[in-house]
Amino acid sequence: MAKQLITLTVNGDAYEVAVASNQTLLEVLRDTINMTGTKRGCTAGSCGVCTVNGETGEAILSCLALAVEWDGRSLTTVEGVEEGNQLHPVQQAFLEYGAVQCGFCTPGLIMSAKALLDVNTSPSEVDINEAMAGAICRCTGHIKVKKAIREAAKVLREREGGLNETNSGEASHGTS
Amino acid sequence: MARVKEDFAVVGKNWTRLDGADKVSGRSIFADDVRLPGMLYAKVVRSPHAYARILSIDTSAAEALAGVKAVITPEDAADIWIGISQPLLPTELVTHVGQDIVAIAAISEQVAAQAAALVKIEYQVLDPILDVEKALGDDAPQLHKKAEHNVGWKQEELHGDPDAVFAECDVIREDTYITNPSHNCYAEYHVCVADFTQPGKLKMWTPTQTAHLFQQSLAAGFKLPVSDVRLLTLNSGGGFTGRTSTRPHHFLSALLSRKAARPVRLRAAGDEEFIMCRAGGRVIYKLRSGASKDGKLKVIEADLLFDTGAFIESQMIVTLLTSKYIHALYPIEASRYRGRLVHTNNIPYYFHHGGGIAQFQFALGQHVDGLARDMGMDPVEFNLLNAVEEGHTTMEGAHYASCGLKECIEKTAALAGWKDKYGKLPKFKGIGIGIGAMASGAKGLYKHDTSAAMIKVTEDGKASLFIGLPDMGQSSHTTMAIIAAEVLGIEPTDIRVVSGDTDSDPLDIGAFTQRGTFNTGNATKNAATDARDQLAKIAAEMLEVDVSVLVFRNHSVYPEGEEDKAVPLKKVVYNTLHSREGRFVMGRGFYNSPLERGTMAYSFGAQIAEVTVDPGTGVVTVDKMTASHDVGRAINPRVVEGQIDGQIFSGMSQVLYEETIMEDGQVMNPSRLDYKMPRAFEMPEVEHIIVESIDPGGPFGAKEVGEGPIVCTMQAIANAVTNAIGNQVTEMPLSPWRVIKAIK
Repeated sequence: MAKQLITLTVNGDAYEVAVASNQTLLEVLRDTINMTGTKRGCTAGSCGVCTVNGETGEAILSCLALAVEWDGRSLTTVEGVEEGNQLHPVQQAFLEYGAVQCGFCTPGLIMSAKALLDVNTSPSEVDINEAMAGAICRCTGHIKVKKAIREAAKVLREREGGLNETNSGEASHGTS
Repeated sequence: MARVKEDFAVVGKNWTRLDGADKVSGRSIFADDVRLPGMLYAKVVRSPHAYARILSIDTSAAEALAGVKAVITPEDAADIWIGISQPLLPTELVTHVGQDIVAIAAISEQVAAQAAALVKIEYQVLDPILDVEKALGDDAPQLHKKAEHNVGWKQEELHGDPDAVFAECDVIREDTYITNPSHNCYAEYHVCVADFTQPGKLKMWTPTQTAHLFQQSLAAGFKLPVSDVRLLTLNSGGGFTGRTSTRPHHFLSALLSRKAARPVRLRAAGDEEFIMCRAGGRVIYKLRSGASKDGKLKVIEADLLFDTGAFIESQMIVTLLTSKYIHALYPIEASRYRGRLVHTNNIPYYFHHGGGIAQFQFALGQHVDGLARDMGMDPVEFNLLNAVEEGHTTMEGAHYASCGLKECIEKTAALAGWKDKYGKLPKFKGIGIGIGAMASGAKGLYKHDTSAAMIKVTEDGKASLFIGLPDMGQSSHTTMAIIAAEVLGIEPTDIRVVSGDTDSDPLDIGAFTQRGTFNTGNATKNAATDARDQLAKIAAEMLEVDVSVLVFRNHSVYPEGEEDKAVPLKKVVYNTLHSREGRFVMGRGFYNSPLERGTMAYSFGAQIAEVTVDPGTGVVTVDKMTASHDVGRAINPRVVEGQIDGQIFSGMSQVLYEETIMEDGQVMNPSRLDYKMPRAFEMPEVEHIIVESIDPGGPFGAKEVGEGPIVCTMQAIANAVTNAIGNQVTEMPLSPWRVIKAIK
């Protein structure tokens, strides 16, 4: 099968890669660019572990996206979420509020949550449920994941200066 | 047992998991992320038939395909067996759908899949046995030589004289319950990377709950010395009782690697995952129990029939375990247990999350709830009247050195507002209780139940802890760091947990039977204490006091009550090393239950479910769960909550959603879309109550929380549904159509 040369920008870095027309974004990320932070799950769009963020921050199932369609476009993976050497508030909240167990679905959960919080720092319960509806997490039962998203939203709102809420006082004793 | 609130420095506080930052930033490596030079990719050709004779296998076209590097056929694997009855690859008969027949390694997953499609296998299709009751029949063909009437394993337990006690009972109840086939549904699919390129030396990266048992099994299969098999466990994407033994893909990837002399990765494709997984099978539970008219439960009988599928490897564990839980919760006078594993031509079934115990409790909890209602008793009152207490010894000899069961029931009922709700809810709203017990470890499944630990203390006053207990997400590595830190007077973040390589890990039989916190926790505490004792000798000399008065805390050592005299821990380490003796501080510890069989500690729990049933559709919505668990001591409370949350999810998922629908031996819903689990929006509010009964044998009094909660969940939800609709739904999952049938 003839391959096509595409330019894909991942976390700000442009990669020129040859892709077959049936190759997915997930395959290119993991096997061509060797960025394995994005995990391979069901490869059929039903578990959410491969979620990355597209150009406008939207959640993308990389196992269903064809790489050729991403020529000239850019995306963010879990490896690109940290701000300098600091964890992003979503990552920090997942860590502090116990939303991480086995960690396999965590990159997908983080990217789904970030897609929501990038456009809505005051999400309702329904907003959170909708944003996370595509994700399966067997370990946490989603309970502490939802808690972490609410707490991350608080931090992001504070950062926006919109609200002056204090931390709920449940933050963990230890440091990351 | 006195319940003294001890003044701990780090135990009992909320600590974030030590590997958490890597997990939230994509730096954590799982087996599917392993990339080795020259690595090949494998694909397995599987049987499409449940029962068939293999007439011929032609791999010539596959072998001729460019990029194919190795093909393994049954001839190449003739001497490799999994367990005692399962050939790695079948030479004559295939006995279940999806059975591995030929394995191929190629330069890419695509080429491997193309080659697999070129393999030609001719079959003579035979009439399969797909139903346990038919398998037991006189006219059923016998699938294994030694399994008469297809009963591959039978266990019977008798305590007291059940018939005599039944004769004295005022109320007797009989029920039959069924649980259906299910799938563990780990986030991380089955995957294995094998490197067998160096002759006689096998290296393997794969998710596991027990690197030690995998090592033993692979060494036996390949007839290698145990130390020539090296298991490298990275992160494991969940276990849920499903990663306790080796499966064909572990052996096949190794064989392909040996043949091709290149590393090989074998990973389940979407629908294959459901065949390779092998969780619970269909189980029929016949229960009978009796009570006196004052509400005292006196006798329980259970007859369990397990569809074990085509092969038995380690599935007998399920009868060993369920037989212990028939009399674990109530101090009854007599019991009778029979468990049979029956062969069929279904996929070999092992266990789902809860290890067969939670599913058994779905049956027993509903049965006992029914008995209470038969007597006009409130189920909470009934459970409080009958529940075991501290100091109880079961008929089998399990001794409860600590037991917070009644406290769990009382606190859960109070928080859930049971008295204001039970019997007072509007139609189609229900409330139900489930109670449970769980052993911390299970000596007897194997001869020993050993965990070992080593700790080295470095000059900077920090430590490296070496353990062999896998962390599949339960945060056990962080728990062990907390335990060691408490002993050494440092912080968990000062401890580097080194684990996941059988070349350097101390022996630990693994993270199953809820043995981690108790067994590995005790081993870790012993290792840290050994290291502390070595340091104490020097510190006592430095402070000119007796070792017995020393306190290790806040990175320092001081005589009790004289914190002003504290010397920094790192100075003590420095003095220990930089002395004529030049002693390097290394502690070692191990733990094995002193009992012949069984464990020293049991945990207990109670959960109350509140549900709404839609009478039109039969859909059950869980509105709220109130959950308590007696964990002995909560080493890391937020992790305890996380364990409770996850098990409520899994229990709710199993009791309401999960079923691998089987037809002609095929899984009809092999995808994450069609095999249903609750999503975020379906999860109820969960209230946690942590009960700390402080076990005298546990590390700082701790017991398990690994599967104790889930044994309460399924029965609590089922009992709430009964309360809502007036009838029991006796078959799990409580799918809408089954609920509708029960309403009518």
